[in-house]
Amino acid sequence: MSSLTKIPAGVQYFFDDEVKLRRYVERRAMETFAGWSYDEIILPMFDYHDLFARGMGQENAERTYRFVDRDSALLALRPELTSLVARTVATRFIKRERPVRLCYSGEVFRYDEPTERAAREFHQLGVEHIGEPNIVADIEVLLVAAEVLTALGLSDFRIALSHVDFFNGVAEFLKLDEANSAELRELIDRRNSLALEEFLRTRAAHVEQSRRAGFSRLIQIAGKRDAIERAQEIMTNERSRAAVEHLDKIYSTLIALGLEENFDIDLGDAGGLEYYTGLTFKVYVPGFGVEIGGGGRYDNLIANFGEPEPAVGFSLSLDGLADAISMNDDKRRWQSANDTQTISFDDDPARAFDQAREMRRLGKKVKISAQ
Amino acid sequence: MLNDRLTIALSKGRMQDGALALFARAGVIIPESELNSRKLIVNSADGRYSFVLVKPGDAPTYVQYGVADAGVCGRDVLMESRADVHEPLDLKFGRCKIAVAGKREVLGQDYNLLATVRVGTKYPRIATDYFHAKGVPIEVIPLSGSVELAPLLGLSDRIVDLVETGQTLKENGLEVIDVITESTARLIVNRASFHLKRIEVGALIARLTEALKP
Repeated sequence: MSSLTKIPAGVQYFFDDEVKLRRYVERRAMETFAGWSYDEIILPMFDYHDLFARGMGQENAERTYRFVDRDSALLALRPELTSLVARTVATRFIKRERPVRLCYSGEVFRYDEPTERAAREFHQLGVEHIGEPNIVADIEVLLVAAEVLTALGLSDFRIALSHVDFFNGVAEFLKLDEANSAELRELIDRRNSLALEEFLRTRAAHVEQSRRAGFSRLIQIAGKRDAIERAQEIMTNERSRAAVEHLDKIYSTLIALGLEENFDIDLGDAGGLEYYTGLTFKVYVPGFGVEIGGGGRYDNLIANFGEPEPAVGFSLSLDGLADAISMNDDKRRWQSANDTQTISFDDDPARAFDQAREMRRLGKKVKISAQ
Repeated sequence: MLNDRLTIALSKGRMQDGALALFARAGVIIPESELNSRKLIVNSADGRYSFVLVKPGDAPTYVQYGVADAGVCGRDVLMESRADVHEPLDLKFGRCKIAVAGKREVLGQDYNLLATVRVGTKYPRIATDYFHAKGVPIEVIPLSGSVELAPLLGLSDRIVDLVETGQTLKENGLEVIDVITESTARLIVNRASFHLKRIEVGALIARLTEALKP
């Protein structure tokens, strides 16, 4: 140990009000998950490194904290929880009725770039809905996320919806190889309109000028219903059109439920994890400058551990939720009133403790004082 | 806490006048009295925008963390910071190059024949990426100003720095060896603000786009 005061980068200690707030956030989220029939699963802190590499891809697994087992097998602290859930469902829940609904609450550990806002140790709350290919599961998880945010008093939240096939359809239509496709994804993700036009002029020269102009408007396709209509005008390839249609169905339901204000379409959102196969979404709340969570459909992940199965889920950062609440909120909702009764310990110890025991039985908070 | 006002981080110094002129063309005026004060946060006359004046290298940080919804900074700073932000507009002013320079004697020298290139720079990441892409090992000597001194005093073989007119280089007997990339001022936008203040951010982009038209 270098010094008693030094703390490894990225680890956190919580005390006082922060603990109360975090437990409050966790409790409200888990209650909401339970209300939608998600059963909690408690997962191991570490597992084989290979499991995470299979789940999230080699690149992500490289950001894990690794160590070796007695038999020299490579282990890793869990960098995420979805792979652990997926493996469990694919191997141990084979005979259970589908869909399987699971939820979790737990810390994950990752080495992060120093510029990234996230701590190296952070706490995720999430759900996985496995075995249901129907759009109804997509809508369900969106509503679960919305309800958690509302239950926490963050009713100004915004969830931005996208679909991976929208971008994939564009890349396919432009006949881009993998490297060019990755570059295009990056430009769209950063909404870099100038560089996007330049990219299309040089790498997609075979596409006629008028079509190219349409594609360079891709990054502006964010908004409400109007964004879907604009996307339908620009897109002619089947894959992108199917993606837009899928989002249209989801969005219509959200509108019918009176949630239009809280949900946006953002087809310019092409970043994020490669394992998604359909709907993707990111969650934002005022007072927190980065996304507070996200999710989507990942129909290919489970096949890495067994039979292929459709799945959709999301996770929220407990740290982010706690930050946003403490910035915006009336503390009374999560702080218990200070109603502790102090009992003085005098010459007769039995009497003081007897009094304390009686008050505890009535549900009161007590503190024994030596004075 | 949703309010309609946008907070914009402006880089002080080299970029400041160009940025203020562009915002003025876009109809966003900051009263002279505010500008001449020593306030670090100033408001536009119409009250729709707050500007925070920050060190150029810090603008991406303010925006990435969301304490500013948007910002104006050079592409050089943005590349070096690797900030995770939207970058919707090239504002076209503040044009310069990020270049490798050195003493005239080394102009024709092949990097590949050097064991390591010693590079003095304010841009360690850009310099490292550039030489690594060429497969050349690099030793970065981080400096925060008067970078031209490094090769003169023998602190480094080369420098990677901003070049506007090339006058400073010339006066110190240095020449541009290779241009890494061009840089201009960029509008950057926080990822969460892009959604949470979509209407306001969209209006800002539209106003600036209009003002940029020749």
